[in-house]
Amino acid sequence: MDKQDFDRVISTAIGREIEANEFYADASAKTKDPVLKQTFSKLAGEEMGHMELLEKFRADPGMPFKIDAPKADLKVAEATELPRLSTSMKPADALALAMKKEQQAMEFYRGLSIASSDAGLKTTFDNLANMELGHKNRLETLFVDIGYPEAF
Amino acid sequence: MVGLATTFGSGAMTNDIAGIKAADVILVIGSDTTSAHPVIAARIKQAVRSGKTKLIVIDPKEIRLADYATIYARQRCGTDVAVLNGIMHVILKNGWEAKEFVASRCEGFDALKAEVEKYTPEAVEKISGIPAATLTAIADLFSHAGTGGLFYSMGITQHTTGVDNVKSTANLQMICGNMGKTGGGVNPLRGQSNVQGACDMGGLPNVFPAYQKVGDEAVQAKFDKAWGTKCSVKPGITITEMIDGAITGNVKALYIMGENPVISDPDQHHVQKALEACGFLVVQDMFLTETAKYAHVVLPAAAWAEKDGTFTNTERRVQRLNKAVQAPGEAKSDWEIIQGIANAMGAGWQYANSEAIFEEMRTLTPSYAGMTYDRLGSMGLQWPCPTIEHPGTPVLHREKFTRGLGLMTAIPFKEAAELPDAEYPFVLTTGRVLYQFHTGTMTRKTAGINKLAGPMVMLSDPDAAALGVRNGEKVKVSTRRGNIVTYASVTNKIGKGTVYIPFHYAEAPANRLTIAAVDPVAKIPEFKVCAAKIEKA
Repeated sequence: MDKQDFDRVISTAIGREIEANEFYADASAKTKDPVLKQTFSKLAGEEMGHMELLEKFRADPGMPFKIDAPKADLKVAEATELPRLSTSMKPADALALAMKKEQQAMEFYRGLSIASSDAGLKTTFDNLANMELGHKNRLETLFVDIGYPEAF
Repeated sequence: MVGLATTFGSGAMTNDIAGIKAADVILVIGSDTTSAHPVIAARIKQAVRSGKTKLIVIDPKEIRLADYATIYARQRCGTDVAVLNGIMHVILKNGWEAKEFVASRCEGFDALKAEVEKYTPEAVEKISGIPAATLTAIADLFSHAGTGGLFYSMGITQHTTGVDNVKSTANLQMICGNMGKTGGGVNPLRGQSNVQGACDMGGLPNVFPAYQKVGDEAVQAKFDKAWGTKCSVKPGITITEMIDGAITGNVKALYIMGENPVISDPDQHHVQKALEACGFLVVQDMFLTETAKYAHVVLPAAAWAEKDGTFTNTERRVQRLNKAVQAPGEAKSDWEIIQGIANAMGAGWQYANSEAIFEEMRTLTPSYAGMTYDRLGSMGLQWPCPTIEHPGTPVLHREKFTRGLGLMTAIPFKEAAELPDAEYPFVLTTGRVLYQFHTGTMTRKTAGINKLAGPMVMLSDPDAAALGVRNGEKVKVSTRRGNIVTYASVTNKIGKGTVYIPFHYAEAPANRLTIAAVDPVAKIPEFKVCAAKIEKA
């Protein structure tokens, strides 16, 4: 992988993290639900952390950048329909939206990995896909906490 | 379930049985665990014996688990809200609460704090009979546990204040920060083998499977489509309302499966009157029960070892039930009988076996969606288990409560519906013994078990002495609903002024005596408190 390819890949990834940070920050500002506000705000912060990690990697391509996939892909996002963002959405729907976004990001990098013939690029995309899978996994775990209420 | 569902968003046992050993302190309140849930009692005993876990027992009876307890406290029946408020009073007064947990994960704290301020240990001693110093010691021990687990059963729920009692247990666990961690939680122990599963499958008047609300537009559309019919949008009624309805004529027919309300429901005469008045009564059971004797049609059902399916236990674990022997005579699995009746009515159901029903069920029940008969194997899976890849969920509310924030509720103490007076000076409370199961439909067929554990009324040494009653003598127990004659079991395990009768026995039915007063929200009857008198028979 040459430097130009590397910069392009990392810039794309950083762009996606910025976009995700803005999405969650915006959602946190708009929602009235205090739990949701807190959750979105935390997610915005996490996306910022991912962006900073990628910035460090861009500045120092020699730094270790090996992200392991979580032990299991729970595939809860895949089994959940994508809800529409609204100010009145329930916390479970908001989390569903977030985990679907992480699923899309994971699939994006996996797709690029499959399409890449360069071994270095492939590894970078795989690591980025693993990072998104990690985010997805964390959100799925949170979703399982709140996604199966008992209504009386 | 209603109390916890309101508080947490989920009414089920929050934790798992395997995690019991991780608790530093376990509080058992309103559960004769050794008698009604012996497997869980064994785990609690093991945890105590290991030296890691300390046990607190609060119960009107000095139950077997009290032998293992660091602190045992006997409360007057029906005073649980006051007791729990008193414990919380001490915790908050001393600043022992889990401040960060309360601030970040709960709401309603200020109102709760204002309410429990009234419940000083001295005030609670007057209400409950638990010495103020004991109450303080309980608060100290429990709030300083790294992880505290709370277990309750029908001693908490079967009251006119059942929902208040449940919410109070949840309040305590939230202020102690004991939610969402292994070994902690609020753990309601279910009354029978598959109560959790029956509720999960919509065996409640107002929900479809997985607690999907009747009347919700999206839910109705989902089930209409799946079942190819227009499902009713009107919630049904509770058992106590059905019994009343049979008398008033609002309920014309009853179809009772695996339930024996003549023995299990309060105010037996009232139940019998309802069954006699019912225009058409069908009973489906494995034996000709006391209830089946009133039926126009009796349908013979297979026993648990004669059928396939699943049971969901108290820790939300869905377990396979494997057929071991052939059912005798015309007896069939419940699903086969129901399918036969549905098809006679023109439904056209074609389920080949219980697995086919399970497969349909998991497509409609999101919390069971990841379970298959193969995956259940010999250990089962705990819901939520939403995908085939998901390992199941031993502990609920890890990072968030199902409803978001845990809802703390200020709960004032209220007395039970019927208190002792000059005519009926005793408090009657009811429950179970280890050797009999529920209404005895199965266990009472075994003579040996009956010899081990026959009908009795437990009364205290001083009360027996005052009545001139000796151990094993016949006594008459009366309430405003009726009377029974049974044998006195004189003991120091129960407090003066309280008598206890296990409800298993048709020849001395405790529920001829109990009151049909119900919790206004959950509609559960007050089996645990009514006024009674005792005479030598």
